[in-house]
Amino acid sequence: MNESEEINISNEVNSDESDSDELILTAAQVIQIMEEAWSNEKFAPEILPHKYEIVECILGQISHVEENLSNLINDDLRRSIHQMELDRLRYLVSSYLRTRLEKIEAFVCCILKEEDERASRNKLSYLSPSELEFAKAYRDGLDQHFTDTLKLLPAEILNNKIWQNEIITPNLDAFVFAKAKSQIEGVMIERDEEFVDLEKGSQVIISYSNISNLITNDKVSLI
Amino acid sequence: MNPDEVEFIGEKQLISIIPTFNSSTIHLVSGDIGPFRASLPLNVPLWIAINLKQQRKCKIQPPDWMDVTRLEQIKDDEKSSRTFTKMPSEHYMIEAKLLLGYAADDISRADEIRTVIKDIWDIRMSKIRSSVDMLIKNGGSYAAVDNLTLMEINTMRPLLPQAMDQIHRMKKERSHLRPPTQNTTLSLLNSSHTSTSK
Repeated sequence: MNESEEINISNEVNSDESDSDELILTAAQVIQIMEEAWSNEKFAPEILPHKYEIVECILGQISHVEENLSNLINDDLRRSIHQMELDRLRYLVSSYLRTRLEKIEAFVCCILKEEDERASRNKLSYLSPSELEFAKAYRDGLDQHFTDTLKLLPAEILNNKIWQNEIITPNLDAFVFAKAKSQIEGVMIERDEEFVDLEKGSQVIISYSNISNLITNDKVSLI
Repeated sequence: MNPDEVEFIGEKQLISIIPTFNSSTIHLVSGDIGPFRASLPLNVPLWIAINLKQQRKCKIQPPDWMDVTRLEQIKDDEKSSRTFTKMPSEHYMIEAKLLLGYAADDISRADEIRTVIKDIWDIRMSKIRSSVDMLIKNGGSYAAVDNLTLMEINTMRPLLPQAMDQIHRMKKERSHLRPPTQNTTLSLLNSSHTSTSK
């Protein structure tokens, strides 16, 4: 079916040094990346840079296999195994996307504000185009709803606009379990006072704020 | 993460099966499996092995460590060690649960194995509880959790991160009130970890 098929994905590094060199990944590697992104997204308190290319690639694989399945002669065993794999992949992708949508809904104002800042400094966007569209529509709906309902309140409460200035932000100090993907030196803990070195493969519980940059750099993964 | 999701990750583990049917290679997105030749062992992901077993299309060969003598040894090591020992498999609990649940007839002395694995789990759980207790009492804000499997880490998730977060908040409040006192960092769950002060 996808015998020795290789997928071309541009590996855009979401960091300041945006070297967009083309990497050739096998489908198995793409799934591996997706699984890690899923786990990171699940446990990080804030939204992480999107993996739109990876998601697209897996969805492409799914429809590719589905197409071939409909041509497959009646072979129940092969069909059922293929079907099970598709279900697993679909679960992975949808759980990942759902986690992101939940975060967008919870922190919509904060996320859009950060996106604006990133856009103004020409940094790569954390949201995919469709997520951005969703976020804006969600915020507009929320604004509309508040404007409509708060109309009924006395003017002095309405005019100080507290609800607009107090935006909900994720708790970046939240504690997470992390696994080092390579040897890392000098991870700060306890506000500038203490540092630890992490061996490759070691696991720790640590405040997210101390390792957030290591996740985007792909040095640690959340577990 | 709920336990089913941990199981979902663990099901990728490869396991050796002896199929009772013939079939050419199946090209899955995650890689090829097969070809299947009746009575010739091959490695497949656990989720496929369980599915085939349920259809009575294969015998499962339990992993090397799923053996009473070996497990007794692991249990003794775990008991005598102050820290957590390395488990023979990153997903030992998931493999044990699935294999003993669906393929108990392929495993010799399955009942004894079940008991020993449960013992190992219980020893490790009680270690986790006492380590967490110590960590919280000392108000730690960092700990190594080496050698703990995903399923075990997952059991700490409902309580430990939130508790540490609360402590962190209290510390932050206090440091606003008076100059910071000396902080000691703890590496309780595994003492093999070294932390250096700067």
